[in-house]
Amino acid sequence: MKKFRLYFEEQNRGPLTQLWQQFQRQHAAVLGLVMFSFFLLLTIFAPLLTPHNPYLQNPDLLLLAPSWSDQGLVQYPFGTDDLGRDLMSRLMKGATYTFGIALVTVIGSLLMGLALGAMAGMSKGVKSSIFNHVLDLALTIPSLLLAIIIVAVLGPGLWNTTWAIMLALLPQFVHGIRNAIQDTLKQDYVAAYRLDGASNWQVLRYAVLPNIWEHLTVMATMALSTAILDIAALGFLGLGAQAPTSEWGVMIADALDLIYLAPWAIALPGILVFASVLSVNLVGDGLRTAMKKRREN
Amino acid sequence: MMLHYFLRRAFLIGFVFVALTVLAFSLSYLFPGDVLTNISGLSSIQPEQQQNLIQYYALDQSLLQQYIAYVNRILDGEWGLSFSSQQPVLSEIIAVFPATLELASYALILSFVLGIPLGLFAAVKADSVFGKLISTVTLIAYSIPIFWWALLLIMLFSLTLGVLPTAGRINVLFDIPTTTGFMLPDIWLSDIAYKAEATQDALRHLLLPAVVLATYPTTVMIRFTRDSMLAVLEQSYIKTARAKGLSRAQVLYHHGLRNALLPVIRQIGLQFSTLITLAMITEVIFSWPGIGQWLLDSIYQRNYPAIQGGLLVVSCLVIVVNMLTEILHTLFNPLARKA
Repeated sequence: MKKFRLYFEEQNRGPLTQLWQQFQRQHAAVLGLVMFSFFLLLTIFAPLLTPHNPYLQNPDLLLLAPSWSDQGLVQYPFGTDDLGRDLMSRLMKGATYTFGIALVTVIGSLLMGLALGAMAGMSKGVKSSIFNHVLDLALTIPSLLLAIIIVAVLGPGLWNTTWAIMLALLPQFVHGIRNAIQDTLKQDYVAAYRLDGASNWQVLRYAVLPNIWEHLTVMATMALSTAILDIAALGFLGLGAQAPTSEWGVMIADALDLIYLAPWAIALPGILVFASVLSVNLVGDGLRTAMKKRREN
Repeated sequence: MMLHYFLRRAFLIGFVFVALTVLAFSLSYLFPGDVLTNISGLSSIQPEQQQNLIQYYALDQSLLQQYIAYVNRILDGEWGLSFSSQQPVLSEIIAVFPATLELASYALILSFVLGIPLGLFAAVKADSVFGKLISTVTLIAYSIPIFWWALLLIMLFSLTLGVLPTAGRINVLFDIPTTTGFMLPDIWLSDIAYKAEATQDALRHLLLPAVVLATYPTTVMIRFTRDSMLAVLEQSYIKTARAKGLSRAQVLYHHGLRNALLPVIRQIGLQFSTLITLAMITEVIFSWPGIGQWLLDSIYQRNYPAIQGGLLVVSCLVIVVNMLTEILHTLFNPLARKA
């Protein structure tokens, strides 16, 4: 970095580069990004990386202590559970369920929200008013209640609750996207583009979307942290993923009976849920600050 | 102007209630099992009874007439019977609902009392060590899964230290007559000799669930107050007020706080449905006899009439709170009144 500027030079970098420059100045956000990438890699490559089969029960090694205690074995870094399954492999596989499925729900909900939000944002009058009222209704049903109803209709299971979480996330996406689109439509460059003869679709595709995608990313990070917490909570309550699945919330619920014997079996999955949500929140906060700072410059 | 606004709100709330009852009504058809059983809640229906019941619930008529009959029954307070206990659903809801309201309102009050001052402080002293500390702790508390946080606190305070109870609203030794359904007012209204001891015991039972439930709304409140205050402090009217020679405290109170708290009022309504979700999870962990635990028991028992009734009550509560906060926001904010 130069300490002072000798000549006046204009900095014309692309918006993405500017965003990254502002982002990497925040150490907490970069740490969050590193953690986020770690979880992402774990989600994709967990089946290849696990040292043991996460579902293989070993009757000779029940409730083995973690390797930092005297009774532990170095082959089983976090010990085993009450059925002799390797805890570390289960935790790694759990990333695929809790983190991976949360990602899928957020992407699905974002795409649906984009379609509906674009429809709501581009329409006017009665149509948009009806839309708002339906959304208000959807916003009032708490996500857990929605999940309970969906489970009552379809039966418990990870994929059924995924629908519930997707539906629960949808209203905030539609609201946010609709507001963002309507704000952008008021801009002069959209009016200019319309005067050039652009159709509704062209306005949306070339003038609106490129200007709201950053906003979308921030919304998606907020939704992702909610989705992770909801999947884990539903798993914990027995409504989501079912027992042998090594989803983190289910693992906590399984280990509840052993709270005196093996407190680490409750602590570790919880730490992972916490760390993944924290990483998402750090990245989201960092992105928001970076966007604000870039706009000020 | 205001009348027009209230009329629009009234229309909206009517529309939402109609949509909600349609959803609840259609659940009788969507749930597995026989429609008649799902509607009435009777676990065993005799053949000779069946014809009468079909007539009573208007099942032989068109869907629209069935729906009208359903709404009439809801308004009359006939919500069907619970599968598991064969008691009327409505009376069961009335028995459990105050416990949830009590827990949620204490948590909400706690989040106000802690969240707003801390948020203001974090905004005013944004660059000091303390301000940064508040922001960091807030971010951490915002990311904690609530059920895990509850378990950690139980492990620490109940299992290791043994100072606080883990379950229930009050020790079963105390016999408190139910008048309002709210524990603390019930104790004070009753004429028992051991009022002080009962109050103390109820407070000890309340402490952990209230703290666990308050964690999330408090962090939201801090973050939101802080962001809103920071945005207000950058406005030019704050500069003007300073230039007029007002002291820092005067500016903060008269010009900063009043403007910054407006969006916070609105946020309460938006966060309320999350609060109810979290209250349901908290109730399960602390065996708090509220509607959340009752609903989750209902789902484990496939108790469909109970789920239907719970949906109506909880959603209505959230709608009413939403509407109230929005009206409050409009009353306090002249700018929103104009639009």
